[in-house]
Amino acid sequence: MTDDKDVLRDVWFGRIPTCFTLYQDEITEREAEPYYLLLPRVSYLTLVTDKVKKHFQKAMRQEDVSEIWFEYEGTPLKWHYPIGLLFDLLASSSALPWNITVHFKSFPEKDLLHCPSKDAVEAHFMSCMKEADALKHKSQVINEMQKKDHKQLWMGLQNDRFDQFWAINRKLMEYPPEENGFRYIPFRIYQTTTERPFIQKLFRPVAADGQLHTLGDLLKEVCPSAVTAEDGEKKNQVMIHGIEPMLETPLQWLSEHLSYPDNFLHISIVPQSTD
Amino acid sequence: MEDEFFGEKSFQHYCAEFIKHSQQIGDGWEWKTAKDCSDGYMCKTQFQIKNGTTTSHRGTPASVHTCLPTEENLELTVDDSEVMESAAASQVIKYEYHVVYSCSYQVPVLYFRASFLDGRPLALKDIWEGVHECYKTRLLQGPWDTITQQEHPILGQPFFVLHPCKTNEFMTAVLKNPQKINRSPAGPEAAA
Repeated sequence: MTDDKDVLRDVWFGRIPTCFTLYQDEITEREAEPYYLLLPRVSYLTLVTDKVKKHFQKAMRQEDVSEIWFEYEGTPLKWHYPIGLLFDLLASSSALPWNITVHFKSFPEKDLLHCPSKDAVEAHFMSCMKEADALKHKSQVINEMQKKDHKQLWMGLQNDRFDQFWAINRKLMEYPPEENGFRYIPFRIYQTTTERPFIQKLFRPVAADGQLHTLGDLLKEVCPSAVTAEDGEKKNQVMIHGIEPMLETPLQWLSEHLSYPDNFLHISIVPQSTD
Repeated sequence: MEDEFFGEKSFQHYCAEFIKHSQQIGDGWEWKTAKDCSDGYMCKTQFQIKNGTTTSHRGTPASVHTCLPTEENLELTVDDSEVMESAAASQVIKYEYHVVYSCSYQVPVLYFRASFLDGRPLALKDIWEGVHECYKTRLLQGPWDTITQQEHPILGQPFFVLHPCKTNEFMTAVLKNPQKINRSPAGPEAAA
């Protein structure tokens, strides 16, 4: 029987085989071969693509290179979303490898945030962690930590160090013994069919009668159109880290085991795959 | 689930009051409902012109103020006598302010963006430089904790955000220094 702790490792070490190709209109001095890389599901594009940038910049003139950005089938990829979320939401029904196009000009100002440095990724990551703890513990746990603990969380993510990260993160997964879970569950639900980028609402893991709320309860409450089958047929897949958890799974358990390093459950609703 | 939604309902109630008052004084704030109709936000658009005149989106001129950041940011070397109609258009900055409720922090959060009339957005660097002297020191101590670029939670587009932790701090400073702030009314502090 798999230990719950093994789930944490499986989530952390998830990878997506990706093929990066330079956009055909970029000006090159020599041929730029596609670059293959296994991307960590739990990290962010601008954090793990230094080698991709170097590889393509070698084929270009310095003056033709400005801020790098990525696109999949015409959709600019938001670097501030975890990689696994982007894949599940946009490409999970397509064959591997994930084919991403690399751009160095015409940055889409209206669609993407700028990422001037790794500091921007760190600031965003810490900001998400703080928001998650605001929901789980009224910010008490994260505010009690020292600056060096915050740094350790970031360094753990940046350097792919599971133990280093979880040594601190485990504190963010605790709750008072008299409670049955966190105050509210940090979650975001994404669908490509809506203008709104995601749904995020206050939702308690435990009902008034003490019953644990399930994933199904959450969806019924905040996103009912996505799951109710009018004619009995399942329209959508509810995906986290590339899998479809059973709707009966307690939300508290999902929050403790299937959250991303930022402590949020990033849930994708995608059309049911035909194969 | 009563106490959770009380926060957001209160917010919407106070926005309605705020907007009623804004309409009475011609200040331009409006309520926008999200497309899926589940929530919304307050918004206001304001224009700032190079020579210092500010106008609300309805074109009613306000009194003339000197806009401190404009000349420096735009690197203009233009003689007043050489300013043509077309050049003037590229020096108009459109500011949009949105007040959105954060259920995580249970506070309103100020989102804003600025662009030239041709659609070119202002960069974070320009925004940081445009911050009023009162806050510059504080901002430089922790720029990433204060004003950052983030995705608008309802529209999904890049906006600048005044970090929710700082709402209280900035509000206190604004309430203490109303005259100083009114000298550059188009900046984000003025909207706060």
